[in-house]
Amino acid sequence: MNTRKLTKASYMVSGVVLLVVAVEVIARLGIAGTAWPSLVEVYEFLGDERQRSTLWRNTLVTLESSATGLVMGTIIAVLAGAVSALVPILRPGLDRFAAIVNAVPLVALAPLFITTVGREDSPAVVAAMGVGFVVFVSTTSGLANASRTHHDVLTVLGANRFRRFARLQLPQALPSIVDGLVLAAPTAVLGATIGEWFGAPSGLGMMIVSAFQSANIPQLWAVALSATAMALIAYFIFIAVQRATVRRFT
Amino acid sequence: MGLSPVISASSSTSAPDTRGADLHAGYSGSSDSHRLDPSPLRVSLTDVQKTFDVGRGRTVQALVDIDLDIAEGEFVALIGPSGCGKSTVLRLLAGLDTTSSGEVELFGSPPEELSRQHRLGVAFQEHALLPWASVSSNISLPYKVAGRSVDKNRVAELIKLVGLTGFEKALPKQLSGGMRQRVAIARALVLNPSLLLLDEPFGALDAVTRRRMNSELARIWSEERLTTLLVTHDVDEALILADRVVVMSGRPGKIHHVEKVDLPRPRDTSVTRTPAFHELVDKLTGMLDGAGEDS
Ligand SMILES: Nc1ncnc2c1ncn2[C@@H]1O[C@H](COP(=O)(O)OP(=O)(O)O)[C@@H](O)[C@H]1O
Ligand SMILES: [Mg+2]
Repeated sequence: MNTRKLTKASYMVSGVVLLVVAVEVIARLGIAGTAWPSLVEVYEFLGDERQRSTLWRNTLVTLESSATGLVMGTIIAVLAGAVSALVPILRPGLDRFAAIVNAVPLVALAPLFITTVGREDSPAVVAAMGVGFVVFVSTTSGLANASRTHHDVLTVLGANRFRRFARLQLPQALPSIVDGLVLAAPTAVLGATIGEWFGAPSGLGMMIVSAFQSANIPQLWAVALSATAMALIAYFIFIAVQRATVRRFT
Repeated sequence: MGLSPVISASSSTSAPDTRGADLHAGYSGSSDSHRLDPSPLRVSLTDVQKTFDVGRGRTVQALVDIDLDIAEGEFVALIGPSGCGKSTVLRLLAGLDTTSSGEVELFGSPPEELSRQHRLGVAFQEHALLPWASVSSNISLPYKVAGRSVDKNRVAELIKLVGLTGFEKALPKQLSGGMRQRVAIARALVLNPSLLLLDEPFGALDAVTRRRMNSELARIWSEERLTTLLVTHDVDEALILADRVVVMSGRPGKIHHVEKVDLPRPRDTSVTRTPAFHELVDKLTGMLDGAGEDS
């Protein structure tokens, strides 16, 4: 048992070391061109106090937009899912609307939001769009999970549609909604970053654009690492929430 | 052999209009001699037909000419081969389905009315407990559905009645199949329903647990005396519990025979081992086989 864990850990460590060495070698040899990062340079870039605080500040900006987008998108999606469960005639329309919204690429929507909701808020709105679709789909499928017999028992007991929703469908849907959040959390970071590309005053997306324009490869990759770390942390937080929800609600 | 029921089915459906008119005119003119007079103290299905639309213009005749009364405080068991329409009868009484023609009345009201008043109790073969709720929250559910405050004493009383004291906080997944069914039955009983509907509640249990649950239900019923319809395909179960056993035959589903059970209660092994009990089992089992052949 213990040796197996150790073997697993050693595989992981050697995998990471190999990857890092490979990235560095490719960078040093210039095989993949000048945009390929040298991790040593990225590390040196992050060693600079001023650069580090700039990166941190912008990371917090993106974090806030992502979180706002995640919350907004989730609320709207769960409400839309609830409406579609409670008012069956609206269901096909809402499904189609969600599918159409999802079919439009976020990159295409971002400039539109700049002109409508403004530079400051569009990252959160773009994040909410990405989150909304995923959570809407997981909400509607979760609300449909309750068995026919469960519905029948509640109906016979005299529960109207709203009571059935509150007592049965919504708690039954929670694990599925959290499944959606697990997928939506990294999407929120991606959406916020894309939203910042189009002229946001700050944030990781803005830093990517400026690094790109000044060909500052270490900054570009430091920002990418930061965004990836944020998305991963969000993912693992919701994985933990998911475990707890599944334990409680199934 | 297979033709005659089909013919009788189509001939019986040819006159639903006059039957419907008769019903709307009132019961007094009913020529059905074996039916008791309508009473607000009775559960009744009158001349019920049920046809299911199964798509592409095809229909399934599930029930024909169902006439059945359950007196207040009576325990009626409905037996019959699988697919003969037992659950359909129960769903009509529960207001989960509507008749194609004919009338269903529960104590003078339509079924939906009773369920709106939270006066129906139901348990199915699948326990349908809420997996996230404890035993006592599951049993409290009817109060919450009715928007009433939970009567903790009544819930505790039912937990005791179904023998689950000590398991109040347990979740359904921590219970055995028999215990889950007991919770489901306690949930059906908690509001003292005017009509208790049970659709093969022990159908998924092993034979030993099933008999134990039968005697428990008999004990519970002798304490609560609720008007009850039990759907089952287990002849022994029907005879242990019921005042009357209604035998249905299938395709299309109709009432084949009604057996009044005069055996003394409680019907423990001292009764179930008597020749009288065995004779009844043989008689009804023979009818089930006959009804099965019929389909
Ligand atoms: N919702 C439905 N749609 C179509 N056919 C149905 C439906 N419910 C029941 N039936 C048909 O009606 C008949 C009686 O079914 P059911 O009442 O479930 O029988 P039982 O409970 O005696 O096994 C069966 O032939 C079944 O296929
Ligand atoms: Mg059935």
